[in-house]
Amino acid sequence: MEILTLQNICFSYGKVPVLKDVNYRFETGKMYCIIGRSGAGKTTLLSLLSGLAKPDGGSILYDGKDVAKLDKYAFRSKYIGVIFQSFNLLTKFTAVENVMLSMDIAGVKGKNKRQRAMELLAGVGLDEDEANRRVLKLSGGQQQRVAIARALSYDPQIILADEPTGNLDGETQKEIMDIFRSLAQQGKCVILVSHSPEVAAACDEKYELQKLSGKKEPKEKAAS
Amino acid sequence: MYLFKNALKCIGRAKGRNILIGIIALVIAVSACIGLSIRQAAESAKAETLEGMSVTAKISFDRQSAMQGMRPSADGASGGTQSGAFDREQFRTLMNGGTSLTLDEYQTYAAAESVQDFYYTLTAYFDGSDELEPVSSESETESESSAGAPGGGMSPGRTKGDRMGNMATGDFTVIGYSGDNAMTAFQTGSTTIADGVVFSEGTTERQCLISEELAAYNELAVGDTVTLANPDSETETYTLTVAGIYKNTEANDLSVSMFGVGQDPANQIYLSAAALQGILDASASASETTTDAATGQETETAVGSSLSATYVFADADAYHRFEEEVRTLGLDDSYTVSSADLTAFENSLTPLNTLSTMAGWFLLVILLIGAVILIVLNIFNIRERKYEIGVLTAMGMKKGKVALQFLAEILVVTMAAILIGAGIGAVSAVPVTNALLANQVESQQSSQLQLENNFGRGGNFKGGLQTAPDNLPTGGRGGFAALGQNVSNYVTEVNSAMNLTVLLQLLGIGLLLTLAAGAVSVLFVMRYDPLKILANRD
Repeated sequence: MEILTLQNICFSYGKVPVLKDVNYRFETGKMYCIIGRSGAGKTTLLSLLSGLAKPDGGSILYDGKDVAKLDKYAFRSKYIGVIFQSFNLLTKFTAVENVMLSMDIAGVKGKNKRQRAMELLAGVGLDEDEANRRVLKLSGGQQQRVAIARALSYDPQIILADEPTGNLDGETQKEIMDIFRSLAQQGKCVILVSHSPEVAAACDEKYELQKLSGKKEPKEKAAS
Repeated sequence: MYLFKNALKCIGRAKGRNILIGIIALVIAVSACIGLSIRQAAESAKAETLEGMSVTAKISFDRQSAMQGMRPSADGASGGTQSGAFDREQFRTLMNGGTSLTLDEYQTYAAAESVQDFYYTLTAYFDGSDELEPVSSESETESESSAGAPGGGMSPGRTKGDRMGNMATGDFTVIGYSGDNAMTAFQTGSTTIADGVVFSEGTTERQCLISEELAAYNELAVGDTVTLANPDSETETYTLTVAGIYKNTEANDLSVSMFGVGQDPANQIYLSAAALQGILDASASASETTTDAATGQETETAVGSSLSATYVFADADAYHRFEEEVRTLGLDDSYTVSSADLTAFENSLTPLNTLSTMAGWFLLVILLIGAVILIVLNIFNIRERKYEIGVLTAMGMKKGKVALQFLAEILVVTMAAILIGAGIGAVSAVPVTNALLANQVESQQSSQLQLENNFGRGGNFKGGLQTAPDNLPTGGRGGFAALGQNVSNYVTEVNSAMNLTVLLQLLGIGLLLTLAAGAVSVLFVMRYDPLKILANRD
């Protein structure tokens, strides 16, 4: 089932074009990889997909509805789970509190939120002790798992991950990719943004972004 | 709800920062609490004193205003002179002719609705006789001389038509009271009966009260008779029966006797106003009129008297209403209504009011400085938490909610500090207020004393002559003895300063400061873009 569609997406930083006429389709139950060289606009595209930025032209359709017409906060908190490259976790909170807060923001109802959060953390391989630890006291891989659990906390259809294996060792990379694979098998649409050929090879489909001519590297980098 | 839980978590996990904000808020709260308490104490002291105070007032002739009316204006025209100079003759005529109101006039104004009670005293001066000599430290010769030439060497008698003014003085001050309520010295207990009883209220019988000193000096007892003579006509005598002997519980200031033996409280004789009026009427009937060959001025020998009427009011408001009512009842503008009680009351509050004003300014400065510090701290706080704002908004939390959470955090910290501050303030406000008040009273008194010393009145007359009631004897302060009293009985202590009003004001201040600081949070949160924050961090 097609869940996310990009129609003629254009984006530029000032007069410097970054994305032009991008047309991608994403379905549930599949793993996608958006690859490209540095400066090709991968992170910019991820920002557009996650609702943090608006395209200059074209439209993004979520389940057939124009994202621009949806409440951007509701879109971010309920419909799409984003795993940022630097995880963007609340460092003063514990792993389980991060997940629970995400549920609260999404408006998830129910009394056993803590138990659900613990289950999600267990699902990504964190035990109870790790779940109750402050995020800053967790390793990069563990933080990545917390970020994944947080993205899954409100059960979105789309999981978006920016360089999910960038800072991880080989073994952990494999474990993380296995989690994404299982999520796709559970019917989620998993979109990974990466420059790694290994990650691209592990996905069902890949979209390659080409660096547009005249694009200035520093500006795109600053924004991403 | 999760916002509040999140706010509490954030407070707990940034203890250092919140303790710092809390300490600043606490200092503001304690200072504000004490400042507000001082102001409240001043208000309460005023309200409480006014509540329990019955106000008395007198109507008196405004001489200054009358003189002003007789002064020529720049172009030579004036209401009272043709020649362009101050019309002394007209002034004398006015002053001699009847500036004091008659008893009937006083009683007309007593009918005003605001008046709760009314009484008056009649005062006249008499000389003694062989069996009644005034208490005096002066030699017999001087006393005789004084008696022989009353009024400081003035010729006997007084100008015809002079109802009250230029009253001759004698060895004794005879005061007639309209009723028991007029005998305020007995009411307050500053004077009590040592032997016998007080004459019946309103009696026309010539029964009098004499002082213990006078009784001892002349070996008089209750039931004895005493004879008083008209200072202007020694053959005109009046016999009174001693109904009682009174004693002053307050110390007498003997220095007042330098104004004449008649002014000595020991030489005051009390009787009912009706009885004294009877004597005065008899004296008027027996009066002889003589004409000065040189000036043509007529003088008469009738005993002169002065009338002092006092109006009593339930409260200060009634007194203020009375001021308007008497004008409606026809009181001329050249008369003023004044209340020595209210004046003394206002004087008594001077240090507290000064302290209250200072506390007000102190409060304002504290609040301004406090607000600036809290706002600056909050700006640092928000900038430090920029990343957190970025993460929360990227997770889909609305900016308004983020701002609300930050507001809740600062509100919890400042309110907790304010409650603790209110507690500390409640304990310390009274002693601090009293200490500051004592300081203020001391400085007020020393400056007053310095002023008196500068005028050479630093001795026995603390209050000075100028602060004594103008219409003596009043009966309310034991006659002339009031001269020696210091009217500056300042409020030197407050019992309670902190109350619900202060607490509410304090909470209001806390809320105001929080909102001021919180408004900055809202502004910052609203202008932050999560994408830029997170991208910059990456």
